[in-house]
Parts: sequence; C-alpha cells; structure tokens
Amino acid sequence: MRRRSIIAGVVAAGAALAAGLYRFTDLLVKHYPPTPYDDLLGQLTDRDQAAKLGAKIPGAFDARSEAARLRSALQGRSLADATSADIAAGRMVEVESWVMPQTVVSLSALAAHASSGSA
Amino acid sequence: MPDTPSLTAFIDARSLPDSTVLTPDLAIIGGGPAGISLALALAGSKINIALLESGGIDFDPKIQKLYAGQETGVRYTALDAGRLRFLGGSSNHWGGWCRPMDEIDFEARVWMAHSGWPITRQALHAYYPRAQDLVEAGTWMYDKAGPTMAALAPLMQLGPGGLYTSWFQFSKTRDSVLPTYFGHRYEQDLRAAKNVTPYSHANVTAIRLASHGQTVERLDLATLNAAGTPARRFTVKPRMVVLAAGAMENARLLLASNDVMTPGIGNQNDLVGRFFADNPIPRDVATMVVFGGALPAYYGTNTTVANGTILKPTFAPTPQWRRKAGVAGSLTTVEDGVDLDDTGRAAVITTALALGVDASNAKAYSLGCGMELQPDPDRRLTLTGEKDALGLPRLKLDMRIADSDFALYRRTLAELGRQLLASKAGMLRINCDHREQWLKAMDWGNHHLGTTRMSSDPRQGVVDAECKVHGVENLYIAGSSVFPSYSASNPTLNLIALTLRLGDQLKKVIA
Repeated sequence: MRRRSIIAGVVAAGAALAAGLYRFTDLLVKHYPPTPYDDLLGQLTDRDQAAKLGAKIPGAFDARSEAARLRSALQGRSLADATSADIAAGRMVEVESWVMPQTVVSLSALAAHASSGSA
Repeated sequence: MPDTPSLTAFIDARSLPDSTVLTPDLAIIGGGPAGISLALALAGSKINIALLESGGIDFDPKIQKLYAGQETGVRYTALDAGRLRFLGGSSNHWGGWCRPMDEIDFEARVWMAHSGWPITRQALHAYYPRAQDLVEAGTWMYDKAGPTMAALAPLMQLGPGGLYTSWFQFSKTRDSVLPTYFGHRYEQDLRAAKNVTPYSHANVTAIRLASHGQTVERLDLATLNAAGTPARRFTVKPRMVVLAAGAMENARLLLASNDVMTPGIGNQNDLVGRFFADNPIPRDVATMVVFGGALPAYYGTNTTVANGTILKPTFAPTPQWRRKAGVAGSLTTVEDGVDLDDTGRAAVITTALALGVDASNAKAYSLGCGMELQPDPDRRLTLTGEKDALGLPRLKLDMRIADSDFALYRRTLAELGRQLLASKAGMLRINCDHREQWLKAMDWGNHHLGTTRMSSDPRQGVVDAECKVHGVENLYIAGSSVFPSYSASNPTLNLIALTLRLGDQLKKVIA
C-alpha cells in the first residue's frame, strides 16, 4: 500500500513537472502571452523570426483591422494557400526592400505587435 | 607551289606623299567592328574600297589622345578611355558579350518617348548568322539554350510572369579570356581582299560637301608624326562614304564639318550628337535567395557547352511584360554569393515556412544588370572650343540618367521577386531605392549609341532606314550611332548585322 502510494506520488509529481515545463517554460514548446490574435499567430511556424521581420515594418499599425482582414484572407484555407494566392494576384509588399506576399507581411506585423506587449 | 592569296598591302598613310588624292569607289571611315565587317562584306565585289583607320595595328597613346574630351553630368568614362583608336577599334577591349536585340526593341513603344526604328528586327534576320560568325560566338542558341544547360544541371524555375531565362553568348575566347579583336582577327582577311585597301594612320579631319550640300565631294585627311603633331595631309575623293567611326566620333566629324552646312552635316534639325546613350551596369541591384541552396555553377560563370558555345543565363523581361508594365529592356545576371543580415534571414525563414518550403540550405546571391536607357535628347555630345592635335574640335558629353530609368528597372526586379516566390524557388531583395544607391556602384558598358539616330522622317532622324544621311546622296553611317532606341542587349552583334545589311544596300547603289 505504501509502495503504491509512493509510486503514484512520483508519477503525479512527474506529470506535474512535465506539465509545468510545458506550460511555463519554453524548453519543449515556445509559449507566448495570450493575445486576441492567437488564432492567426498560430499559423506562424517561427513566430520569433516573423516578429523580428515585422518589427521592421514602418508606419502605424491597426492590429484589430489587420487581424480582421487576415481572418478573412485565411478563412477556410491554409497560410500556404493564402500566400500563394497573394503571389498569383500580385499582392506584394516590400519590407526592408524584401519583396514579400501581403499575408506573410501582415502576420509578421501582428507578431511584432504581439511581442511588443501592445496586444 | 601552294596557291597563296596575293595580299594587298596595309598602307601606312604616313608614307603617302603630301597632297595625295585617292579616288576609291567607297571610303569607309573607321576600322572598328562596323568598318571591318562592311569591308569584309564587300570583299570580292567590284567596289574599290579604301578603309581609313586612324590608328595603326596596335595602341598608340598619341593617337588615342585625339579622343580626349570633356564629360559633365553623371559620372562617366573619360572620352579617351571608353573607346580605342586603332585597328579593330573598341573591339580591342570588349568583353565579347553577345545577344540579339528583341523584336520589341525596334518598336515604337508608346510608354517610351522617342522610341522606335523605321525597320523591324525582320530586316536584320538574314544578317544575324553572318554577324554571329564574325563575332565568333558559336552556334546560334540564345533563347533556345535552356534545354542544353538544363541537361547539365536544373535551371532555376521562375513562376509565370514578366521575366524569362534568356542567354548571353560570348565571342570565342583566346588565351583563356580574350574575345574576338576585330583588328587582329581580320587583318589577314583584309589584306587578302583584292578590292580593299586598308590605310593605317589615316585621320579624317573633315567631310567636305559640294557647295549645294547634297553630296560629299571629298574627305580631308591628315597624319600625325612621332611628336604627335600633323605631318602629311591628303585627300580622298570617293563616290560613296560610310562613316563608321563610333557614335562619338561619327557625331564629332559631322558637327565639325560645317563649312557648307553651318549646323554640321545632317544636323539641319539639331539632332546630331543628341540622344547619346549607353547601357548602365548597376552592381548589386538585388539580393536573390535560392531556397534550395546553391545554383548551378553556370549561373555565375561563363560555361562552354559541347558545341563550343559559351553561355551565361540572364533574366529578361518578356515583350508582354514590357508592354503591360511599361518598362525598358534589362538583362539581369547572377553575380557573387552574399551573406544575409538578421532581417534577411527573418524574411527568408518566415516566407519559406509560410510557403511550406525548406530553406534550411538557402543561399543568397548578388544580382547585376545591363539596363536600357530611355532616349533623351538632352543627353548629348557637342563640340567645344578646344581642338585636338589635328585641329578638330574636341567633344563634350552631357551625360544623364533619369530617375525614371531606375524606377522602370526596379519595377522589373519586383516582378522577378514575385516570380521567384510563385515558383517557390526563392525570393528577392531590391538593394537600390534612391538615385544615390543606384549610382554608387554603377558602371557603364561603354556602348556608345544613338547620336545619328535612324528615322524615315528627316525631322526625327539623321539617317534614313537605309542608313543614308538625310539630304546627302552619298554619305552613309554604320554602327550603333544610328540606333534610335537601344535595347539592353550588347550592341556589337546587332550593329554588325545592321552593317551587313548596309553592305547589301551599297552593292546595289554602287553597281
């Protein structure tokens, strides 16, 4: 009985530790504070790189309206599909003179906005 | 006994008695690619030809100094550095780059003022094969070279859009790097042509019109002595004259020959010397990232294929794109590998991941370009009050390049960037935004163009569609000075094709 309790306790402690590592550290998965745009930012495979790029986009940024536009653009399709559609339609934007698809740039701007703590 | 051709002597004009008068059927002024090609085209005909070359067989600084002049405006090659004054002319320092002009280059493009030829590319079609032989650029491949090169390694794919992969070909190399130098290459052919007498050290100092101004009566010539001062003077009285001295010197001789026609020969509408052009060669215009890693080596290095032809790929705008986007010609090439900064890496990682492409081995390259300028009447050559050793007024060049020239090319680069993304092959950064950035690392092709432009309308051009000077019955001009709009293609192959066409015309006229 006692031995079983010890094993159960160790398992429970391990599970709690793993959950803690998962939730509160970036050891296994990078965690970000919640934002109203997590549904969009979740499309980014490397949010830190996107934020780094987004930080280079000049001018005022209206996160709410941009998020609404992105949700519309991404509705029912993957980021890859939306990006390809931008390219085919010529919806291109320059960031630091890099010629890029509009959706990728908007997501990057949103990532930068979120990482700045403004979200 | 072997049957050896009897060689006509190359006559050193310094050995002619003073006041000699020569009376050939045709005088060709200038022994560069145009003059030599024309002489060879007419070799074996019944036309008695004097080929008048200012220089000798090799470079002589005293003769070269006759080219010195002034440059103002945008930084440009010194007038005595961008061309060469001895047999073979400026082919003595060319790089051997060849590409035929496109059909659209000849069209009057509504988005480009002053553009358009009075002939189509079709008019040169029959002459390109011989021109290709003369520049020794191998089998005619150009836009059809793709499958041959793809057999070596896969081409980089561009998505549908405004640019396609075209190909430069190169003049046959000698001693590893040297292309066809027309003087050295064709000296023996000129000697072997019984009806061609080449004169070296024969400097034309004036084209003299008859008093009615409608025919050339004679050419005044002079030689320089060892001290670089005038020695002998003599005269050539030909039935026909072809001015083939390059776009700068053609204009100079016409403007300076003003004793009968005060504005200069062919300059009744103030066009001689105007519309000067060249191909700007801005460096590091863009950074192209290839998601999949290194490009095949042939993108960065001239590559010889099995048939001996030397090739290098270039991204060229399609005619459809040029019309739709209103852009000029341009030929963009891959240059050196480069590193990306943090922003560049972020752009590549974010975009590649969005496209679902692995860019972990991505490699970046710098791109270079040869651009076509828009015609500009104020980019011009004029005479100065200063004179050279032979008494000919020196030239001043007012060199210009418009912001819109750069803006049009930038539009083409942006389209290239879009197409790279469309094929998921890569992406692109445009490295030049402002005029200063474009000019910072910009060279010139030293392709002198446009100063005696061709038009059927005498009010719009110096020569007509047959390269004859408007209003002068027996004076023709050969070379790229007659190009009314320019193309991004290097001019040598094209001016030779045009010159060979002139040769056929002269056979009819003189016969």
